[in-house]
Amino acid sequence: MDFANLASQLNAGAILPEGIVIITLLVVLIADLIVGRAADRWTPYVAIAGLLAAVGALYLGWNRLETVSFLGSFNSDNLSLVFRGIIALATVVTILMSIRYVEQTGSDLGEYLTILLSATLGAMFLSGSEELVMIFISLETLSIASYLMTGYMKRDLRSNEAALKYLLIGAASSAIFLYGSSLLYGLSGGSTSLAGIAAGIANSSQSLGVLISLVFVIAGISFKISAVPFHQWTPDVYEGAPTPVVAFLSVASKAAGFALAVRFMTIAFPSVSDQWQFIFTALAILSMILGNVVAIAQTSMKRMLAYSSIGQAGFVMIGFVIGTESGYASMLFYLLIYLFMNLGAFTCIILFSLRTGTDQISDYAGLYQKDPLLTLALSICLLSLGGIPPLAGFFGKLYLFWAGWQAGAYGLVILGLLTSVVSIYYYIRVVKMMVVKEPQEMSETIKNYPALSWKPFGMRPLQVGLILTLITTSLAGILSNPLFNLVNASVADVPLFEAAVPIRPAAPVSLQVPATPLSAVVPQSAPQAQTLNVNLRS
Amino acid sequence: MLSLLIWMPVLGAVLLTVWPSKLSAVRLRQIAFIIMAVVLGWTAVVGYAFTSSDASLQLREELPWLEGLGLSYRLSVDGLSFPLLVLNSLLTWLALHATEAKIQRPRLYYALILLLNAAVSGAFVAENLLLFFLFYELELIPLYLLISIWGGPRRGYAATKFLIYTAVSGVLLLGAFLGITWLGGMASFDYQPLLTQTIPVVQQCWLLGALLIGFGIKIPLVPFHTWLPDAHVEAGTPVSMLLAGVLLKLGTYGLIRYGMVLLPQGWETLAPWLATWAVITTLYGALMAIAQTDMKRMVAFSSIAHMGYILLACAAATPLSLLGAIFQMVSHGLISALLFALVGVVYQKTGTRNIEVLRGLLNPERGLPIIGSMMVLGVMASAGIPGMVGFISEFLVFRGSFPIFPLQTLLSIIGTGLTAVYFLLLVNRVFFGRLSPQVTDLPPVTWGDRFPGLILTGLIVLFGLQPAWMLNWSQATTTVLAAPLIRQPLITQATPVISPSSPL
Amino acid sequence: MQLNLFLLLAVALFCIGIYGLITSRNAVRVLMSIELMLNAVNINLLAFSNYLDGQSIRGQVFAVFIITVAAAEAAVGLAIILSIYRNRDTVDMEKFNVLKW
Repeated sequence: MDFANLASQLNAGAILPEGIVIITLLVVLIADLIVGRAADRWTPYVAIAGLLAAVGALYLGWNRLETVSFLGSFNSDNLSLVFRGIIALATVVTILMSIRYVEQTGSDLGEYLTILLSATLGAMFLSGSEELVMIFISLETLSIASYLMTGYMKRDLRSNEAALKYLLIGAASSAIFLYGSSLLYGLSGGSTSLAGIAAGIANSSQSLGVLISLVFVIAGISFKISAVPFHQWTPDVYEGAPTPVVAFLSVASKAAGFALAVRFMTIAFPSVSDQWQFIFTALAILSMILGNVVAIAQTSMKRMLAYSSIGQAGFVMIGFVIGTESGYASMLFYLLIYLFMNLGAFTCIILFSLRTGTDQISDYAGLYQKDPLLTLALSICLLSLGGIPPLAGFFGKLYLFWAGWQAGAYGLVILGLLTSVVSIYYYIRVVKMMVVKEPQEMSETIKNYPALSWKPFGMRPLQVGLILTLITTSLAGILSNPLFNLVNASVADVPLFEAAVPIRPAAPVSLQVPATPLSAVVPQSAPQAQTLNVNLRS
Repeated sequence: MLSLLIWMPVLGAVLLTVWPSKLSAVRLRQIAFIIMAVVLGWTAVVGYAFTSSDASLQLREELPWLEGLGLSYRLSVDGLSFPLLVLNSLLTWLALHATEAKIQRPRLYYALILLLNAAVSGAFVAENLLLFFLFYELELIPLYLLISIWGGPRRGYAATKFLIYTAVSGVLLLGAFLGITWLGGMASFDYQPLLTQTIPVVQQCWLLGALLIGFGIKIPLVPFHTWLPDAHVEAGTPVSMLLAGVLLKLGTYGLIRYGMVLLPQGWETLAPWLATWAVITTLYGALMAIAQTDMKRMVAFSSIAHMGYILLACAAATPLSLLGAIFQMVSHGLISALLFALVGVVYQKTGTRNIEVLRGLLNPERGLPIIGSMMVLGVMASAGIPGMVGFISEFLVFRGSFPIFPLQTLLSIIGTGLTAVYFLLLVNRVFFGRLSPQVTDLPPVTWGDRFPGLILTGLIVLFGLQPAWMLNWSQATTTVLAAPLIRQPLITQATPVISPSSPL
Repeated sequence: MQLNLFLLLAVALFCIGIYGLITSRNAVRVLMSIELMLNAVNINLLAFSNYLDGQSIRGQVFAVFIITVAAAEAAVGLAIILSIYRNRDTVDMEKFNVLKW
């Protein structure tokens, strides 16, 4: 069988972007091996070029006629294209901000880029996977690469510890996810594709086995999107891991998690959509409340952003649980916006910690006097995260809430509005620290602030990343029509939602839901649980 | 045309921030003056183009923006918003005059003032609910920074309090706007189509409740007022002038435009309670003002009391009372800005605002005679002495509201009497009598210090004598605004309706 | 009834794994517990594959993948534990408290 024939049979063109990333990865790896440290001067740009080429390939794959490839394990529909684009762009910005950071800490840049690209690869594959083995492999590619990056500062105790915690919790959660998957495999009568599973469990939708596997799978996914109560790793990892890695985890890894959630839930579990929507509603409520409230008490900038990212995940989940087309569209839109504003904030934090070596919020006092550009950029990004008009985050939240309101999720939307007030409070605390403090209230760190210089190697890319995210964060909201058309188109063409979109009553979904104990769902399925074995045999 | 009112200050602010060469504070101030003068002039041009006999929304501008969200860039102006626009431009211009010449961080300061002006103008001319909300929220950060950077000793506390209150108010508004649009069956937040909505009365009342609390925080109505005295005391003079003069009007303006007009049946149902609420606000504000020793705090509480009249007039919703409401907004804007400006001068010269320390500032030799005279005049206007703008507005409010809510109107008139009490206390202690020994050797007052006060005093007297010049702008509009709510005078029925919730 | 027994074995292994995960103080033991959980999954998959999917044996393929990835995960885990041991001379989980838990 010749290669071209095989490739066309498998529809291998669908993974052209990933192919480009793989080639880039190999080029970086080999260059690093052959040339050594001298290659650090140009490998980052090769990686960026490769990723941008991948984004271009994604663009060319838009509205592809035959989306399913590799015998149904990978689906390159428009939805996955947008998710993969988000991930690739997030990696580009992450590389821009990493160069100087990795250089300054004296670690090896080539290896770092290789691991980062592997993680990107895993995340991109995860966004389109429709088969359990494929999902597992790409999930683990992403996870293992993330563990390695978290522990990349080998001499730093905090980095070690963060990596260990991340690895243990991550491995445990993927084991739980796998256990759920293995149950699904059995319950569906031996099918590993998501569509096959949906068909297999359609008749036994209320059985205990399906519910258990649903809960296990959700637990695994929630770990990736760090939804409360699966969030415990987040603050520690964010605090301990190298900051560019945190930036990557907070955007790309999270986007991949949401891609997985959308695909898994809508394709495999349409028959229990009430149950998974209920669970995700509860997760969204908990995430919004806990993430935003605990963030108030933080003194470390990275830790604060960790909790804020938990809260933001809660907002994104609003778009997911309402299960309407506009809900998914607004969720994608918010992730796109979130990409830029969150990475912008992280770029600023990296810049600050590179110059001062600290990330305590109190050390930002009076930054206005010494570094207006950094102050402006960080203020804009944080205010945008808080949803202040006319910045991008405001429009992102507005889309989410409007979609939620149209779907009748009044409780969720109101909770989202209230918690976003809380979030404004802690974001503006940082802005106040930087802008409002008088010269005499300046922190010691700021008094010793080094002279601004963009000359050292790796500072230019950082500057480019800063300006890029700053401009996007300021304007993406005001000029959001093209972006919004993009995300709308990406969800409109996807057939999977028509089956999955539940016909919801216009009644409030949320707030009253947590009052219903979970046991209310389980007993009614208990009789069927006893017949589980019989079902399995037949 | 209206766009320029928003974009000129924004451009000015950007220009002030990014201007490359180093400019002294004085030079920056001059540039800001010029920008605001141009804006003020442009407001006059808008006024020339504005047809006062036309009750509809006019000078419309329209650009599609985000259809997916129902947000479009639609601007227009009518008799309700136009006087407030003028007030906004004028007071911002005067506030720049009242700014110290050697202020810290001038670039940021003037940029923020201009941004604030743009945001408020935008909110007044927006013809889309979401656009209004956008501008309403936009004003939050500049004002927060203005209070927290250039404020008094407890500015951090006051600014945060302001921020939290206003953010909550914004959330409630957004919730209510989403509700109005969704229940009204619209896909877009445009204002005009919503006028024909048919939401059931019960839901209207809920939405109105959210709007009332949202705008009630801004106005502010008791018990949501506690941020205001703190914000006023801590904020600098120009910021206080803007806050009392213009920003509070956003609340009443929004209440009329989005509460009363969009939800007429709900408004009608809640009106008696609103009138009672207005009375409580008025009396509470007035009584609290009597107890204050800080001049600025006293003026702040009097502000609360006077905003209560506007709510009363809105609740009554007769053409006359609405006209009174608009006039009261303008006159309160002028008077409170005047009082804050004068208190600012007194504070600047004497170093204290405590009315138990200050004595006899009217002393022609060593006191502040001209400032003092203007203060007496402003106080008289505030207390509703005939011949000044306060009298006309209060008369219109009471005359318009009396047929509908006689009891509440009478109680509010008591509030006017109380105004006279606390302001006489103020004037008597601070300006009459012997000059207190602590405040001798006052620095000389320049004409620059007096300028904002003089302009405002002039306007107060002018409109007091010739109210028709301003009433003409709004008369046609108020008739139309009140049309869905025209009711029979309820004097005979009113008593049973209001007695359950009457405060006394 | 044999499938039942396999599933019960898997459940038992999985629970033991979770128990070990929660109670162990030694980081290596925690890793081993995770391996137990993964092996429970493997037993599940093999049993299902044998009883339900005799033709295409997807479960067995899946299990091979899991074993491979588990090895990679264990390798990374042990590497991290090694580097932490070099820095701190301990692998006791309760001593890892630089970051607030």
